[in-house]
Amino acid sequence: MSHERNSIHRTAALALSAGVLFVVANSFPFMTLRAGFRKSEMMLWQSASGLEEQGYPYLAGAVSIFILIAPLLLIGGLLYLLVPLLWERRWPGAIAICRWVLAARRWNMIEVFLLGALVSLLKLGKLAELTLGSSFWAFIGLIICLTAALASIHPRELWTRLEMAR
Amino acid sequence: MTAAFPPDSAAARGLALCHACGIASPVSEARCPRCRSGLHLRLQDSLQRTWALTIAALLLYLPANLLPVLRMESFAGDQQNTIMGGVIQFWRGGDYPVAIIIFGASVMIPVLKIISIISLCLAARTGRRPRGMTRLYRMTEFVGRWSMVDVFVVAILVAVVQLGSTISIHPGAGAISFAAVVVLTMFAAMSFDPRLIWDAAARSATSAP
Repeated sequence: MSHERNSIHRTAALALSAGVLFVVANSFPFMTLRAGFRKSEMMLWQSASGLEEQGYPYLAGAVSIFILIAPLLLIGGLLYLLVPLLWERRWPGAIAICRWVLAARRWNMIEVFLLGALVSLLKLGKLAELTLGSSFWAFIGLIICLTAALASIHPRELWTRLEMAR
Repeated sequence: MTAAFPPDSAAARGLALCHACGIASPVSEARCPRCRSGLHLRLQDSLQRTWALTIAALLLYLPANLLPVLRMESFAGDQQNTIMGGVIQFWRGGDYPVAIIIFGASVMIPVLKIISIISLCLAARTGRRPRGMTRLYRMTEFVGRWSMVDVFVVAILVAVVQLGSTISIHPGAGAISFAAVVVLTMFAAMSFDPRLIWDAAARSATSAP
């Protein structure tokens, strides 16, 4: 086996940072809109629940899969697989979770959401005053960490290591 | 699967790669010994599924572009916005890069993706230019996700403008058709097995004089 020696450590560290940033990104306002005396703050998950309130439950479901459920599944799944692998162990259900994690990769669209956020800034910037919240910056960090974590893990290597682990 | 495989291929020896974990094992096992997912030499009913999903995406592409994706109510009156309308608005406002990005992601990419999946399905029958077609397949899988940007713009605008003060924004029926186009083309690309192109190329090479 000619695997990179510390790829599991590196990916686990990146997944852990992504997990922290995911919590931060979901606990603070993503954008704030000011129009006259009124002010409204938008949390990340409200981009899905707002659609649900307007009578589009399927669209809301799709958006929450792309920006909340898939990233969460990736972060949680990677940590569940990689932390025991540091000691060459595997926890129950690791094989099934590995399949889920690999399948969740294509449904994670946080980087596309960021582009959407930038376009909305331009779209509303002329009508009202829009400011970015701390969640926005955590979200950018989340994109960087999660993308790096996914790039540094190779499915083949992950499967062989899981197979060798006890 | 009745297609004949080249005599020196793994498929001809009854070996299949697992779709999930990539290990090679005898196809007679039925389930992958490592990850327990089903073993097949090729993805099952690949072409039928891909055609069905692509045709569905093609049909939904019309409402996705003709129906408004969002409705804006403001002191200036009601305003309905289609995807093309948004592009034109950005262009008139002088935001040329944004107009080009939206036009590319929302109008061009879905069409190109549908055309490329159709030509992949045709290539899986004729076996013409397998190398170029495989490259096309990889590109198709990579760029399709960016079409979702307009749906996210609608989601953000709807969520952030919830004041009911001077302006209010509601999603339109175009948004859901648009999301459906993207999801359907993603499933179509997933259900396509690029090895079918190489099978067809091998068949046409052996039948040619």
